[in-house]
Amino acid sequence: MDHLTALENKSIYIIREAYAQFPNMAMLWSIGKDSTTLLWLCRKAFFGAIPFPVIHIDTSYKFPEIYQFRDEYAKKWGLNLIVGRNEEQIQAGMAPWKGAKLDCCSALKTDALKSTIAKYGFDALLLGIRRDEHGIRAKERVFSPRNQQFAWDYQNQSAELWDQYRSESEEGGHLRVHPILHMTELDIWQYIQRESIPMTPLYFSNEGKRYRSIGCTHCCTPVESQASNVSEILIELQTTTTAERAGRAQDKEDAFTMQKLRALGYM
Amino acid sequence: MMAIGLDGVPASLIRQFVDQGVLPNFARILGRGYRLHQMHVSIPEISSTCWTSFMTGVNPGEHGIYGFMDLRPQSYALYFPTYRDVQAPTIWDIVGGTQGGRTSSLAERFRGVFPEPLRAVVMNIPQTYPAQPMNGVLTAGFVCPDLQRGTYPDTAYQYLKSIDYVPDVDAEKAVTDKPAFLKDVEYALTKREEAFLHFFEQERWDIFLGVITETDRVQHFFYDAAQDPGHRYHDAFLEMYRRVDAIVGRLFDRFQNMTHGEGVFLTMSDHGFTVLDQEINLNAWLQQQGWLRLRDQGQWFDRIASESKLFAMDPGRFYVHAAGRYPRGTVQPSEKAGVLADLTGAVEGLCGPDGRRVVREVHLGERLYHGQARASAPDLVCVPNDGYDLKANLLQPAVFRKGPMTGMHTQYDGHCVLPESLPVEGQLHIEQLAGTILECLAKSCTLAC
Repeated sequence: MDHLTALENKSIYIIREAYAQFPNMAMLWSIGKDSTTLLWLCRKAFFGAIPFPVIHIDTSYKFPEIYQFRDEYAKKWGLNLIVGRNEEQIQAGMAPWKGAKLDCCSALKTDALKSTIAKYGFDALLLGIRRDEHGIRAKERVFSPRNQQFAWDYQNQSAELWDQYRSESEEGGHLRVHPILHMTELDIWQYIQRESIPMTPLYFSNEGKRYRSIGCTHCCTPVESQASNVSEILIELQTTTTAERAGRAQDKEDAFTMQKLRALGYM
Repeated sequence: MMAIGLDGVPASLIRQFVDQGVLPNFARILGRGYRLHQMHVSIPEISSTCWTSFMTGVNPGEHGIYGFMDLRPQSYALYFPTYRDVQAPTIWDIVGGTQGGRTSSLAERFRGVFPEPLRAVVMNIPQTYPAQPMNGVLTAGFVCPDLQRGTYPDTAYQYLKSIDYVPDVDAEKAVTDKPAFLKDVEYALTKREEAFLHFFEQERWDIFLGVITETDRVQHFFYDAAQDPGHRYHDAFLEMYRRVDAIVGRLFDRFQNMTHGEGVFLTMSDHGFTVLDQEINLNAWLQQQGWLRLRDQGQWFDRIASESKLFAMDPGRFYVHAAGRYPRGTVQPSEKAGVLADLTGAVEGLCGPDGRRVVREVHLGERLYHGQARASAPDLVCVPNDGYDLKANLLQPAVFRKGPMTGMHTQYDGHCVLPESLPVEGQLHIEQLAGTILECLAKSCTLAC
């Protein structure tokens, strides 16, 4: 069995295992490359008809290309799409430039997700995170519980030996399931190429720049790149020395610093 | 050589609390050949700037840290200067042989004086994140987003992690849950002391620099309790001071025992404190005066529109929106002096709601700062009168405001407790301390050699 098929088999096993244990489950779809790959795997796992809802958390600040892609493929692939929005905060004018980015993320992303989970009572969520994205994600389990406050106690996790996964979270919490945790950024692009998975054009070079990681319009910046198709991205990834989330790690420290300074009255 | 920094502890309050018997250890130290000095600090009187002045012994024009935030050259991009942006070497770099490519007037003065590198323990000094390799142990103070990256070497991090050490308390709690915040302060002080004593005992060191920052945090939110026995948190405020006094006393005794009374001990602060009446938002004021216009696009300082002549940054820093210095800057070099003269006049005339003048001193950047980092200096800086806390918020529309904080920094009332044997000529200034420390170390080196 080739490398990509082995990865695919493992992911499909996890997706089916999760659905067998949690019929009231949903998948998070950010329309980025990882979660679109996950969506593709879910379609394969259930022969084209995904039996659970797909959630898009919409901050209202996504790129037009993202909305267009979402609507086109939700229809084409017959998805049961749930759009989660924190309408109250969006109407109140919450925006990345209105205060600290962290406040905006927490209102428009975290709170929107919390209320979506509460509304539908989901007890498990499929997410497209990968171990190689960030140091802290290397500690993730495939089945990872979150408590009611969304907190993850990474020092208290069971081992996942012989593909035996934890299937309980504490009262009021939910389980996060990570079917592509074992894939790398390179695996993802190789798999996208093999399967011809459609992707938003934001990933491909336009006037010398492309997005390597996509968030909201104001909070992510493109990288210098000439890669205008998947093959060129694969060549670029094999030679680059910049980490995928290098910019985001600095963002995180900056967000922390800003929060601390604001608590002391600065900014 | 041991220096204990107490963030924001004013000389006047130490004097008062010593007289009232709140600080028995300070009283004891002052009775044993030590003297309390009222110390002036760098302008702006803010922790990042003043701690950097302390650890490098030079003015901000030379070390390059003018505040907790700054703009990247030729742009409106906001960034938070870290230890990597400090352009002058620190005391421990100078004595430890790790100054690398950094240099300063102070480092030049002591070039070749320490042929054998000296070891340092540096605990919790703000503006030292991320930790860089040095001769000794360092754990960074505020702002320290990641204790592991803030600590050198890794064994020191492993120890700090094992005792659940915290680099800071959560100041947001001081607004939402005061009792819980005070509990966190107590916990942080316990961990600070535990870690100080651990490295004091376990490391071999020639110079120990340790800072307690909880004093500043408590004072920001509880300074109104300091003088008011009827205040709900008066006792808690005194208790925090007693706790700090006990830590200072314990470290002093151990240090005296270790050095047979011959070591040089000092305590100091990075600025003073006073009661806050009003916060003044200089950017809102500049908008009112027609000197600053904001666009609806962009974030933070990228919102500055081309017609703006001036903008401000925390705490009292003013920048001329000059052509050539900022992408949309329009003020020509020939107009700059006129703009600054108008600003000086207006800011000197600015009065608070109670009719008092807001600003005590106005300084032109080019006169106040000198050295290699002068190019990024503010064009004009203000020192406020007591009670008026200068802010430079881009989001708050009101010029005057009373927020949750009840204490603010002062530039003139920092403290320093020094041995009487060390001569102090004229007014003591924070930028002199590193030189004094290096002289003491050089002397003991000569004696030992």
